[in-house]
Amino acid sequence: MRAADWCLSSAGAAVVLATSSDEQHPAENMADGSSETFWTTTGMFPQEFIIGFPKCVKISKVTIQCYLVQTLRIERSISKDPVDFEECIEKDLQHTEGQLQMEEFPLPDFQATYLRFIIKSAFDHFVSVHRVMAEGTAENT
Amino acid sequence: MVKLAAKCILAGDPAVGKSALAQMFRNDGAHFQKNYTLTTGIELLVKAVSVPETSDSVEFFIFDSAGKDLFSEMLEKLWEQPNVLCLVYDVTNERSFNNCAKWLDKLRAQAVGVHIPGVLVGNKTDLVGRRVVEQKQAQEWAEKHGLEYCEMSVKEMKNFEAPFHILAKSFHQLYKEKVETFHSLA
Repeated sequence: MRAADWCLSSAGAAVVLATSSDEQHPAENMADGSSETFWTTTGMFPQEFIIGFPKCVKISKVTIQCYLVQTLRIERSISKDPVDFEECIEKDLQHTEGQLQMEEFPLPDFQATYLRFIIKSAFDHFVSVHRVMAEGTAENT
Repeated sequence: MVKLAAKCILAGDPAVGKSALAQMFRNDGAHFQKNYTLTTGIELLVKAVSVPETSDSVEFFIFDSAGKDLFSEMLEKLWEQPNVLCLVYDVTNERSFNNCAKWLDKLRAQAVGVHIPGVLVGNKTDLVGRRVVEQKQAQEWAEKHGLEYCEMSVKEMKNFEAPFHILAKSFHQLYKEKVETFHSLA
């Protein structure tokens, strides 16, 4: 089966929760396949968002394009509803002045129906998340 | 339309009127608390103000902090990741003004490398005859340290909203600038 990006609204993914909302820069911008549009946090940390997949998918790598994020934690759920999250990884990112942070998380093949991203701290008052990708194949369940 | 959230640290010497300001602001000037209550640790108050000429607002999470040194160790943990500062002194108490430098150092140490908008507030302007810190002197000090300045009398319910309107405007401006930066990245 061909590798696919599951974090696309065109592939049926949806941002089911985001803790900040600016109607000019909505959370959907993270799943539209473009790095030009983004979601902004609007003050204070932690901040988080949850992306839901149309079914249980197998993922091998998660990539995030963001700016000013310091500590990031990724969790996954295999439940039908966005509950029972377990930690996949937590990392301190490098500050990249004037340039998007492109962070790849190669993960051993794992299943997920939801991915939760928690931005625990930042290098400034606000951060942006431009794109999230989850590479993998569909699970036949 | 966006509603920003800002962690606002309210600090300064004991009995300069920090809690009086916070309470007055929260209940829209409905009531001036005449009795003094010592704040131990932190009291959290939440209130939103709208940003003039926009449809946006800023929700302040005001961390009204104890002025007594006794509590300072505990405060440093609670002050982590601040967004804006409101530093209060008493215009009839020179020591409270001089100590602003100390408070500012402590607060700025919480966010090295990040610009934190702040306002210096002179309280108790109703006590005209007892005033010892002149407006010019305080204003110059504020400017030198990158702070906005305003004066008020919480007791007379004068100007107590000004510090928060100043901070809301500055924080909103920061957000707009940051969004511009985000746009330029792609």
